[in-house]
Amino acid sequence: MKRGLHKTALLLLLLFSLIVVNSCKSKINAAHKKVAIIVSTLNNPWFVFLAENAAAKAKELGYETKIFDSQNNTALETDHFENAIASGYNAILFNPTDANGSIANVLKAKEVGVPVFCMDREVNSTEAATSQILSDSYSGCVALGKYFVQQLNKNGKYVELLGLVGDNNTWNRSKGFHEVVDNYPGLKMVAQQSADFDRNKGMEVLESILQAHGDISAVFCGNDAMAMGAYQALVSAGKEKNVKVFGFDGAEDVINAIAEGKITATGMQFPKVMAYTAAIFADEYFKGRRDFPKKMPVAVEMVTKENIKDYTAYGKKEGQ
Amino acid sequence: MKKIVKYAVGIIVLIIVAYNLVYFRKLDEVKASSSKFDAKTYARNYFNNKLLPSLSNAVELNQLMFLLQTNKEQTFDKYGHALGIGNIRYFLVKGEGEVTSINENDVTVVAKPDTNQKTIRIATEFVFGNAIRDASGRIDINEFSNTMDFNNVSAEINKIIRAEVLPPFKKTVVKGDSVQFAGALELNKEHLDVEDIEVIPIQLKIIEKK
Repeated sequence: MKRGLHKTALLLLLLFSLIVVNSCKSKINAAHKKVAIIVSTLNNPWFVFLAENAAAKAKELGYETKIFDSQNNTALETDHFENAIASGYNAILFNPTDANGSIANVLKAKEVGVPVFCMDREVNSTEAATSQILSDSYSGCVALGKYFVQQLNKNGKYVELLGLVGDNNTWNRSKGFHEVVDNYPGLKMVAQQSADFDRNKGMEVLESILQAHGDISAVFCGNDAMAMGAYQALVSAGKEKNVKVFGFDGAEDVINAIAEGKITATGMQFPKVMAYTAAIFADEYFKGRRDFPKKMPVAVEMVTKENIKDYTAYGKKEGQ
Repeated sequence: MKKIVKYAVGIIVLIIVAYNLVYFRKLDEVKASSSKFDAKTYARNYFNNKLLPSLSNAVELNQLMFLLQTNKEQTFDKYGHALGIGNIRYFLVKGEGEVTSINENDVTVVAKPDTNQKTIRIATEFVFGNAIRDASGRIDINEFSNTMDFNNVSAEINKIIRAEVLPPFKKTVVKGDSVQFAGALELNKEHLDVEDIEVIPIQLKIIEKK
C-alpha cells in the first residue's frame, strides 16, 4: 500500500516537473523570439497608435519588439527590412508605404523564412505576406459617399484630397466615395489633389485650391489628418461654417471635432483590432500554425453627429 | 558643316528623349490602367450563377427580426456573413409585403406576416457598397490579389441592380401594391438597430397590383 502511494507520488512529481520544464521552455523560446514592427510613418498619431498597440500585444505574448519608422520612404523601409533580418527578428508586423514598391521587401523576408503580417495597408501580391489584415476602406467610403450626397442634397461643388498615390487605401477610399457620388451630376468635383495623408500638406493644398474655388460646399479627405488640415485652411479663409469636411480614420481630434460640429463625418477604423490580430497571428505562426487567410478585412463604421455617442477615438471602447 | 549636322541630330535626339521622358496623366487613369481584371464579366457570372441561386436560402425577414430579438449571437452566427472581422454583418433576406409609401430614395413596405405592422425600407436610390456581394457568403477575397479588383466586383454587381432591377420596378410600383423582395441587409452587431431596416434589393416583383 505504502509502496503504491510512493509510486503515485513519484509519478505525480515527474509529471509536475515535466510541465514546469515545458512551460519554462516555451517561455524561453518566446523570450528569444523578436518581432519587428515596421510602419509607414510615425508622423501621424493614427500610425503611432497602430505601431504601439502591435508592439504592446507582441510584448504581452512574450516577445522582444522594436518599432521602425519608414517615414513614407520605400528606400528607408528596405533598410529597415535588411536591418530587421540581419538582427535576427523572427517576424515582421508591417504597415507598407507602397502597395507595389513594398512587395520586394516582403519577399526578401519571406526568402529567409521570416513571416510578414501586413496591418491596415496591403501589398499587391497574395504570395508575399503571410497574411494581410486590412480595413475595408471601400465599404467605409461608400457609406461616407451616401451620407455626403444626402448632406449636400445632391448638389454643390466639392474638393477631394487624396492620400499617398502609391497606396491602395488611397484608391479604395476614393473609389468607394466616387461609386456613390459620381451618380449625381449636381455634385461637381472642382479639384482632386494628393496631400499624402499629411495634415500640413492637406492645409496647404486646400489653401491654394480655395483661391480658385471659393464657392465649394464640401471637402472629402482620404484620412483624418488631411481633414484636420483642410478644416484649418477653411478657418483661415473664414469658410469653416459653409463647407462640410469629411475624413477617414477615427482619429482623436476628428472624433472631438465631430462632437463639436466642426467635421461632418469620418470612417472609424479599428487599428487596435488590426494590430492585435497581427501580433496574435505572429504568435500562432511561431507555434506552428500555417493556414492563415491571405487577406482579413476589418469592417469600417461611419461616425456622424447622430451616432457619435457610440464611439471614441480609434474605435476604442470606454475604459480602454 | 559636318559639325553642324552632328549638333542638329544631337539636339533633335535630345528633344525627342526629353519629350518622351515627361508626360502628364490623370491620377485615377494611372490606377485604372494598372488593373487587368475584368470585373464586369466576373460580376455578371457571379450574379447569375451564384447570387441568384443563393436567394432560395435567404432567411424570411420577419423571422430574422424575431430571431435577432430572441438570440442575437446565434442569429448573427447562423445567418450573418462577412469576409473579415468587425461589427458589420450582411444577411440575405426575402419577404413579401404591401407598399405603404414611395419616396425619393426608397419604398416603404410592411412585410407580412407581421403582427407589429413594422415598416421596412427597400432602397431604390442608394444601391452601393459590398452588401449584395457579401451577403450570400459565396465569394472569397483570397481569390483576388488586389483589393481594388475585389471592390470593382461590388461596383459592377450594384450597376446590374441599378440598371436592370430598379427601373422596371420604380416605373410601375404604386402605393398599395403587393411586392415580393429579396436582398441584402447590413446590421451592426455591437450597435444593433432593428428599428430602421433598409433592404438593398437583388430581386423585386410586383405580385398584385392595387
